[in-house]
Amino acid sequence: MPIRIITTHLEFEGQISEQRVVMEGEEPAVWGPEAELAVVGKVTPRVDGRERVTGSAQYAYDVQLPGMLVAAGLRSPHPHARIVRIDASRAETAPGVRAVYHHFNTGDLNNPSNDRPVFGDELLYQGDLVAVAIAETKEQAQDALALIAVEYEPLPFVVDQRAALAADAPKVSTTYEHNTIPEGFPQTYERGDLDAGFVQADVTVEAQLSTPTALHNSMETHGGVAQWDGRTLTIWSSTQDVYGVRRGVASALGLQQNQVRAIKQYMGGGFGNKFGAHHSGLVAAYAAYTLGRPVKYMLSREEENLAAGNRPETIQTYRIGAKKDGTLTAIEQHTIGNVGAIGSWFSPVAMATKELYQCANIRTVDEAARTNLGTQASFRAPGVVEGTAGLEVALDQLAAALGMDPLELRRKNYAERHQALDRPYSRKLLLEAYRLGAERIGWAERDHEERRYPQGRDGYLRRGIGMASQLWGGDGGPPAQAIAKLLPDGTAVILTGTQDIGTGTRTVLAQIAAEELGLPLEQVRVELGDTEFGVFSPPSGGSMTLASVGPAVRMAAAEARKELVEVVAQLSEAPTDALDVRDGHIFSRETGKEMGAIGSFLELLDGHEITAKGMRGPNAENMSVRTFGAQFAEVEVDIGTGRVRVLRIVAVHDCGRIVNPLTFSSQIEGGIIQGLGFALMEQRIVDQRLGAVLNANLENYKVPTIRDIPQIDIILLDQPNVHANTIGALGAGEPPIIPTPGAIANAVAHALGRPVKALPLTPDRVLDLLNS
Amino acid sequence: MNTFEHVTVTDGNEAVKLLSERGGAAGETKIIAGGTDLLTLMNASLIAPQRLVNLKAARALRYLRFAEDGALHIGALATLADLERDAGVARRLPILVESVRDAATPQLRAMATVAGNLLQRPRCWYFRGAPHCWLKGGAECFARDGENKYHAIFGASSCVAVHPSDLAPALLALDAELLINGPSGVRTLPLAAFFHEPTNDARIEHTLAPDEVITEIRVPGQPEGANGAYLKMMDRQAWAFALASAAAQLSVEDGVIQQARIVLGGVATVPWRATQAEDALTGQQLTPELARTAAEAALAGAAPLAHNGYKVPLARELVRRAILRAGSVPHP
Repeated sequence: MPIRIITTHLEFEGQISEQRVVMEGEEPAVWGPEAELAVVGKVTPRVDGRERVTGSAQYAYDVQLPGMLVAAGLRSPHPHARIVRIDASRAETAPGVRAVYHHFNTGDLNNPSNDRPVFGDELLYQGDLVAVAIAETKEQAQDALALIAVEYEPLPFVVDQRAALAADAPKVSTTYEHNTIPEGFPQTYERGDLDAGFVQADVTVEAQLSTPTALHNSMETHGGVAQWDGRTLTIWSSTQDVYGVRRGVASALGLQQNQVRAIKQYMGGGFGNKFGAHHSGLVAAYAAYTLGRPVKYMLSREEENLAAGNRPETIQTYRIGAKKDGTLTAIEQHTIGNVGAIGSWFSPVAMATKELYQCANIRTVDEAARTNLGTQASFRAPGVVEGTAGLEVALDQLAAALGMDPLELRRKNYAERHQALDRPYSRKLLLEAYRLGAERIGWAERDHEERRYPQGRDGYLRRGIGMASQLWGGDGGPPAQAIAKLLPDGTAVILTGTQDIGTGTRTVLAQIAAEELGLPLEQVRVELGDTEFGVFSPPSGGSMTLASVGPAVRMAAAEARKELVEVVAQLSEAPTDALDVRDGHIFSRETGKEMGAIGSFLELLDGHEITAKGMRGPNAENMSVRTFGAQFAEVEVDIGTGRVRVLRIVAVHDCGRIVNPLTFSSQIEGGIIQGLGFALMEQRIVDQRLGAVLNANLENYKVPTIRDIPQIDIILLDQPNVHANTIGALGAGEPPIIPTPGAIANAVAHALGRPVKALPLTPDRVLDLLNS
Repeated sequence: MNTFEHVTVTDGNEAVKLLSERGGAAGETKIIAGGTDLLTLMNASLIAPQRLVNLKAARALRYLRFAEDGALHIGALATLADLERDAGVARRLPILVESVRDAATPQLRAMATVAGNLLQRPRCWYFRGAPHCWLKGGAECFARDGENKYHAIFGASSCVAVHPSDLAPALLALDAELLINGPSGVRTLPLAAFFHEPTNDARIEHTLAPDEVITEIRVPGQPEGANGAYLKMMDRQAWAFALASAAAQLSVEDGVIQQARIVLGGVATVPWRATQAEDALTGQQLTPELARTAAEAALAGAAPLAHNGYKVPLARELVRRAILRAGSVPHP
């Protein structure tokens, strides 16, 4: 096959980067709207559902190896301190203890994802790693922690983001000149002439929204099990990126990448903070490598919630100008974000402001404060969840000031082109989403008396309906590879290096392969989550998995099918174009007659396996492939108690072709539930005087329970995006969480007739709002 | 968690004997029944008993029965789920069912015992966390000037944690008594005297001695026309401790309130009896206006902290609704 190297552009969480791609052969023609597909698009239960519900699925947490040691971590009780001295001698000689690692004996173990020592001598937040004990049992390791004598020199600290940016604030680290990200901050974006825009405005509103620090709280915490056999370091990791883990472990231990094997078969949740090896994985790997025994280090829930990342809190302020008819003339957004101790980037909180609505004059300023708290990490549509909520809340206040229907205001300012990059969208179905969603929620009856006051005006219940729009990438891109093998029995194996982080990747890839190969679904096996296959795939993040890996799988399957047809043609002395492959059998196109099962031909060749490669082709140039959507929320507020109940969410998202309506709906529901948690209850609580997180647990960090979850109506658009890739599908991981908080906040504001200024809308906040 | 000895006993007397051994040193030996609170305290190293006395095998202590005089006798080992599911309790003392229905989760209610529920330690995040707070023997209550949205609006203790029990306010509203087994025999103690605000000398929320065991909770028979209600507000729809709660038990004759008990939960170190509200109700015709007046009276002395001012209107509204619900007055 001729090899071509192509340069293409990728969009990942708001950043555009250039990528060189090696292409071998040609991708098949795109499955357009006219394509008749037998497996793709059908409601398909997960191919690994049985393993998941019976408990036989092996998560990193479940891995038990003979002779395995277990690690436990000692964490800083101080928000900022220097370690003066550590005496681990009592711990080292305690029953079952095999090693205690800390700065003074393991100071040179480097974490390549932040280029800092895993065991530093300056602790930058409560929960920063001080030492790790490795013992025969978890209990012995934990007991040993109490025997480690550490002398700390407490240092001045700051945890409030505004306080951290003050000139005389204590330095978060003694190595910092100031408490902001050193390069590029404050970050300013401008287009048009903001002042002129406000001069043109008939109405100007100012709005603000504070959003909390949210913790990912994956069911499975960070960590892994590592084993060194003298040749290969194998690590079973709870990760969204087996290749990232391989790279990190190899770098930290000074091994070649091909000496490290990273495995991720089943995932207990990955929402953006599980990309690298993480210090838990590095410590497990280091210990296994050093001690010659398998080692497990899975974080406790408290460690997870202190030291594994978060969605950083923001304070957003907006000034928006518009003409009487609703035409936006200027938007100014200022955001302060709390990126924690060593935050080196800040999530794109201004993405919605720059792009979601038509407006010529924009200025956004992002300030990023480092503080003595756990460092931020990507969290499902990082920045865009918070920023969309802020912008949409502000727009509803503008609509009120204009006396205009909020949905009409959004239609009025519909953006036909990508304004920041000045180029067209591949397509945009947002108007259609507005129409369908508004109809389903009953937007037209939004202000009807009986709807707003279900117990009458004397009652305590108020209902409101709000909406918010969604804009995100999800187009993925190269490089992503796959191998398709047709085995002698006529079944197929698909090899990819991606991972199924719970989204249903294994199932949808099997559907795509089955479709292209002409095999029943149950005759296709998908292998993933293992670097040993040597088939590179990108991390599972940025809603990019399906749109990146899906086309590679399709191409591999198409190539395998081509080769199969060649083989059958020669064996049966028929021209290739006379043959069709369906349901695992070969048919004559001419007569429609079945000529035999695939396996009946392959077994004539004594063990021959057909092996074919596929790869994701370049992205479309000069256009932006985006996902768009809208959500509508109906809420009920008890003004006597401050209780907010979400009654219903209607969700309409354009994610291109829906490969599997079942796993797609699961994604939408999951995003909405997580967004509901962010809107109503989730928040990290920090004591400002102690610099301590008070709720690094699941008791007081509240996530939604089943009783909090509303009726969720998902309207499928299901139209292939022919510019996106050969399967016409886009990612659905992040889009559904983006509009939920804004839609709920706007519904609450509608119910109460008061602007919402802070999330989450806990009862105390709602009561304070009512009594303000 | 420390290592410990685990001893199983089959009745309350054996348990008392073991508690009194080794000089009865406070905390040296602890009773474990459902373990839903005890194990969390041990996991957080807030207590480190050398010996656990497992009372679960004392099966005779798990019962619910109505006596001739109409009193409900609740064995110490009856679970919250037992109360929740008992048809007699539902008919005669609906306030009890309402109080346990929204407590914790079905799994926890299946394990948690009624006696253990009364002995729960507070959920205050400073007490449960690392800070050496006043309640743990330290000098300072960190919540008082710290993050106190979940904390007390009533009380004179140096501690501002709130009592976590949902059942306790309901039992107090029913004038329940405890049967307590100790080294010198069995004593009876009104539940109202069992709870006490932590003091310098006794930094704990109750008066049970370290060598005593609760064996029974006794709810006196209620007069004809008595009814009660328990309302709880959480910051999600399930599995959370009360932001505030209200228990109201009323006996009404010919539309006139003969006796009223109003007890608030989630507002003080102990379940908080609102006697002013009770006085406002007693001898009066129950009307929506009266309920409002009584609810005002219930919160009259509240002294909120920096972040829990919302508890005042919240608790007031819960009291108002609980009174109307107990009196079966239709209301918005």
